[in-house]
Amino acid sequence: MKAAPFAYVRPGTTADVVAELSRDGSKVIAGGQSLVPVLAMRLGRPTQLVDINAVPELRQLARDDGSLRVGATVRQRQLQREEIGAAVPLVRLALPWVGHREIRSRGTVCGSIAHADPSAELPAVAACLEATMVLTGGRGTRQVAAADFFTGALSTVIEPDELLSEVIFPVAKPGDGFGFGEFARRHGDFALAGVAVRVRTSGESVDARLTCFGVSDVPVSVDVSPHLRSALQMTGPQPSRADLVSALAEHTEEVAEDVVSTGGDSHASPAYRRRLISALAAREVSRAYVSARLSRPEERS
Amino acid sequence: MNLPQTHARTEADRAVEVNLSINGSDVALALPARVTLSDALRDHLGLTGTHVGCEHGICGMCTVLVDGEAARACLLFAVQLDGAEITTVEGLGKPDQLHPLQESFGRHHGLQCGFCTPGFLMSSYDLLTHEPEVQREDLPTELSGVLCRCTGYRNIVDAVDEVAQAHRGALPGPANCGQRTLVGRTTATAATSAAVGAERTDEEELVERPQEIVLPAGDPTIHVDVTSQLTSAPDEVARVFGDVRLLARCLPGAELTDDLGADWYRGRARIALGPMRMAFNGIAHIEEQSDERIVMKGQGKDTGGGGAQARIVMTAAAADDGGTVLQAEADVFLTGRIAGFGRSLAGDVSRRMFQEFARAVDRAASGEEPTTDAQPPRAFSLLVATIVDRARQRLRRLTSRGESRR
Ligand SMILES: Cc1cc2nc3c(=O)[nH]c(=O)nc-3n(C[C@H](O)[C@H](O)[C@H](O)COP(=O)(O)OP(=O)(O)OC[C@H]3O[C@@H](n4cnc5c(N)ncnc54)[C@H](O)[C@@H]3O)c2cc1C
Ligand code: FES
Ligand code: FES
Repeated sequence: MKAAPFAYVRPGTTADVVAELSRDGSKVIAGGQSLVPVLAMRLGRPTQLVDINAVPELRQLARDDGSLRVGATVRQRQLQREEIGAAVPLVRLALPWVGHREIRSRGTVCGSIAHADPSAELPAVAACLEATMVLTGGRGTRQVAAADFFTGALSTVIEPDELLSEVIFPVAKPGDGFGFGEFARRHGDFALAGVAVRVRTSGESVDARLTCFGVSDVPVSVDVSPHLRSALQMTGPQPSRADLVSALAEHTEEVAEDVVSTGGDSHASPAYRRRLISALAAREVSRAYVSARLSRPEERS
Repeated sequence: MNLPQTHARTEADRAVEVNLSINGSDVALALPARVTLSDALRDHLGLTGTHVGCEHGICGMCTVLVDGEAARACLLFAVQLDGAEITTVEGLGKPDQLHPLQESFGRHHGLQCGFCTPGFLMSSYDLLTHEPEVQREDLPTELSGVLCRCTGYRNIVDAVDEVAQAHRGALPGPANCGQRTLVGRTTATAATSAAVGAERTDEEELVERPQEIVLPAGDPTIHVDVTSQLTSAPDEVARVFGDVRLLARCLPGAELTDDLGADWYRGRARIALGPMRMAFNGIAHIEEQSDERIVMKGQGKDTGGGGAQARIVMTAAAADDGGTVLQAEADVFLTGRIAGFGRSLAGDVSRRMFQEFARAVDRAASGEEPTTDAQPPRAFSLLVATIVDRARQRLRRLTSRGESRR
């Protein structure tokens, strides 16, 4: 379980990182929490690791104009702990599910998104919130919407000589509510199936977006606004969470039917994953709706 | 987290220089970039308290603190941690004053084989320092990053819960951290050598003469205070005290190889203990030398990856029977694999060595050859003597206890 030899470099600027990445066989190392196991098992043998941890600008974690910008070396645990992270509640809900504390101490938010594991939480969060990925390469910087970013299992549009320099998450607004849930065999394991939910309420209008993970090669997002609205018609606009869960359950089975496209594995059959998604979606859409209502200034008094 | 310095590209077959602070001691290592922190701690620094199980992040055996936060040492390349502060289980408590978590694991039977214990200690230390209000029902989830194949976890949860409740927000910090000399197996100079894969075998590597030998702060690993009765008269002993070469020959296993002038000497010592073989190359400075008192400091490196520093004071005084009372006091600081080797046994062995030394001084003072065996890896007999000694002490303790009961 030892990595094969590799060349190592730790540049001090993004430009130097990008220059090093243009060497054949180079790979970024951020927190190393996904990459080092790959190297240890010799599933990958990059010839050079480009350590991005000495670049000051990649540590940025800042709020501007309704968005939270998370730089490439911001650790998962840092976002969980620092006050500023509260601006994006869905990330806060998801982070405790990412591995264990010991993994989150080192693992980065951007690294998880760049790694694009189909069962990972943060790519689903990025997809649900319609986050923007900032890619920096030799030819400059481009921004890619989450919907266009994930191309398959462990695959994204990042070119070999590009760096995911930051992820821009929209900050939650009053009237927004979130839900997150997953099912894993053991805490810290990758999820068999999971959901991230954003509900937006403003005046009379209600929107709901559900992103499922662990059930396809990329996170799958569905607009479940019609389902939520018809459930609310049955329960009235101020339902208890339990009542809304039962009303939603009428609809989530059909949603699960469409989103689960994995062939199944030794851990769970597709049918079982559908049931998980259906139950998790009803529960978390309900939670998100109730918290959305509570986040409205007029409801808080 | 500290921002590491930039580092120029190093080819795959070259060593990279890494500066770390480990349990409060600064360490400079030169190793290939692919060496993990767990291997650097264990193989290069002799700190084998950090265990290694799966080597790919699953089991948590290798958990250490990096800049105060728990992390997997097997998922970090040491080179990534330039400038970081590492705390390992060795830094947590002192052998005679364990950390409350260590005490509690013992009290609650939170370990059986003990393989997972360093991982649990470091993980739970991190938990209780960052989330002091953690509740018992959250402990199974919060401790899920470390696996135990023996205990069934309940005793571990009990042990951590008790400390959480007793020390809410005020958990004592690691008590065994301080500036010590950790001597790596690879030295900074190896950075320029191409053959970094090979382990160093040249026993003759010369230790540079420093400006001054600075002993680490804090308690020594071993404190020895031995008093021996010599039959030789004080003036005969003074003759030995005045002759450094003769004195060196009285030390079992030691050999003086070079006189560097101004009371600095270079030398070598070999010790064998059971399956262990240690060869120290070192340097010594005599700070004070008179007929009845010698004060010296020495430091050496063991080719197997350990180090020793010592301050030794020897005094000779006239005894009533015309002989001499020789007192030797030594503070010995050990690092690396020899430090890992039981402290009390190491202390016993050192005491034995000083007793042999005293006998050799006695012989030398009376004009005999001090050692009969020129290259004495006589540690086997040292070890036997040590064990016999201990058995005798135990017997004495038993009989005296029996007496007091009567
Ligand atoms: C025991 C264990 C359990 C885990 N459980 C979970 C879990 O439940 N859920 C989960 O989501 N993750 C889990 N992980 C993975 C963990 O969250 C990683 O931290 C994360 O996936 C990768 O982040 P990193 O910073 O460590 O990236 P690295 O390991 O450094 O890199 C991962 C990959 O992404 C690339 N990369 C990294 N950063 C960038 C960048 N800025 N630009 C371009 N490419 C980049 C690297 O080249 C590499 O290919 C687990 C890991 C372990 C060891
Ligand atoms: S040895 Fe590091 S987690 Fe298993
Ligand atoms: S005590 Fe044996 S593995 Fe935990």
